[in-house]
Amino acid sequence: MRLSFSEALLKLAANDPNLYVISVGLRPSVMLDRFSTRFKARFIECGVAENNAAGIAAGLSKSGKNVFLCTYSCFSPGINLATIKQSICLNNLPVKIIGYHAGLLTGELGASHQMLEDIALMRSLPKMEVFAPIDAVETYKMAKVLAKSSRPAYLRLVRPSTPVVYPGRLGFTIGKSPVLQSGKDITVLGYGPVLAQVFSIVTKKSLEIINCSSLKPLDESTILKSVKKTSRLLVVEDHQQNGGLGEAVAALILKSSLKCRFAHLAVKNLFGQSARDPYDLYRLHGLSPVNILDTINKLCSR
Amino acid sequence: MNIFRNKKHPLSTVAQEIRLNVLDSINTAAAGHIGGSLSSVEIMVALYFSDIFNFDRDHFILSAGHLCPTLYAVLAKLGKIKYSDLSTFSDFDSRLEGHVSVSVPGVEYSSGSLGQGLSFAAGLALGDKDRHTICLTTDGEHNEGQIWEAIMFANKYHQGNLINIVDLNNQQIGGTTADIMPLGELASKYLHFGWTVETINGHDLFALIKALKIAKASTIYPACIIAKTVMGKGISFMENDYHYHDVKKLPAALYLQAKNELSNPTY
Repeated sequence: MRLSFSEALLKLAANDPNLYVISVGLRPSVMLDRFSTRFKARFIECGVAENNAAGIAAGLSKSGKNVFLCTYSCFSPGINLATIKQSICLNNLPVKIIGYHAGLLTGELGASHQMLEDIALMRSLPKMEVFAPIDAVETYKMAKVLAKSSRPAYLRLVRPSTPVVYPGRLGFTIGKSPVLQSGKDITVLGYGPVLAQVFSIVTKKSLEIINCSSLKPLDESTILKSVKKTSRLLVVEDHQQNGGLGEAVAALILKSSLKCRFAHLAVKNLFGQSARDPYDLYRLHGLSPVNILDTINKLCSR
Repeated sequence: MNIFRNKKHPLSTVAQEIRLNVLDSINTAAAGHIGGSLSSVEIMVALYFSDIFNFDRDHFILSAGHLCPTLYAVLAKLGKIKYSDLSTFSDFDSRLEGHVSVSVPGVEYSSGSLGQGLSFAAGLALGDKDRHTICLTTDGEHNEGQIWEAIMFANKYHQGNLINIVDLNNQQIGGTTADIMPLGELASKYLHFGWTVETINGHDLFALIKALKIAKASTIYPACIIAKTVMGKGISFMENDYHYHDVKKLPAALYLQAKNELSNPTY
């Protein structure tokens, strides 16, 4: 994902002389070395100062530049929420906030660096749109779409290389959640690589897998249409249960008066911890393929 | 009387009018940050009514958004908004938000959360190098770490087109800045961070205009103007009293006294 996004930025910057990248002292880790040498004048290094970086991004955007603010999600929005709220959202400036190293997959860096609250923070802000690609392929497609968007946006990326499941022929549209696999027994909804695991599950159940990479705006009609068909819904996310996609979708279902069995796999009010194999953390927090299959079986048992 | 000069600046009548409008808009709303609004009057008058900058091109970023009654009064004087708008300050159906807002014509930045404006101004100055960006911050606002992040940034990027005016009135909402969080000698701090600095009397329009001209001439270094001011300037019972950081409706007798003093300035 990181590599895919930096490739996309290089390509976009070559065609858009207004494209600027704001770095917050983590240039090598967010894979911006090549950008920083090729587009030196458009690479703005703020040092490890996230609030200033968000303010610089907003001011640059005000001057008409196409600005990408690139650092770890645990710091942006983790540290600079108030600056994002006022300087970016209240002033309605189309800064693109790229949150790297989100979720438990950040692995050995431990609890401080495993951002599990970013979606909750970002989806609560007026004007802000929120996206989380499932893999490197969708990341690239999203980068191209976001570069043309005239609204503030948050994009959530993860640290390790993850399996590619997104069909190459499928585009990305803001506010659309493509059904990646049609089924009739249960709707499985999520975003990011934790959802990609569902493709590795072997089961006789017919799974309808929806990639909810556009978290805000949410593709309500696709979700409701699927739940109406299956009457069973599992939401899985590498994020706190509080404030995540599960809550958004649960509210949507309740308002719709559809009848549906519902389960939500997410981090339950806990911090992460270090792990050399980040998938150990998925097993610990009940987000592994085995946990997902168990939950599917429970929901389908009646 | 101004002890430094005998001659009044021609713009002092504009400052007097702005002060009266600040008092009336806040008293009508029965809420507003009057102390800082009054201390920043000459600063904004010098910016908008001298010919040094042209804010149809140059940028003014009010980082301390609670000083907006003064900016709104300036914008009314300029014809960007109507004088009658001033009496709607902070009301439900008014564009004149209680903290400065881009919903008001002529305002470039919505703020209120302190410490963010200098970063925004530095970003704007970076993207628009042909023009000047002038930011107005306060001494109390320098409690915020983000201000110092922006100060370092402006030095790194040699932002000669960036000016930060500090309205240094020594007061903040809960006491003197010395009590709440002492800033110490601010000018030398800016100097050590790579800025040029002018320290002046922030109510002296001659000094303000001269300092702005010097700051504008700086092409490599970001420029800081430390404007030493008096909180509540012009209303004797408010001056230097942090309890007048913000006010509700003034008792009638005090309002009349305030109006009378602003109408017949002795400074």
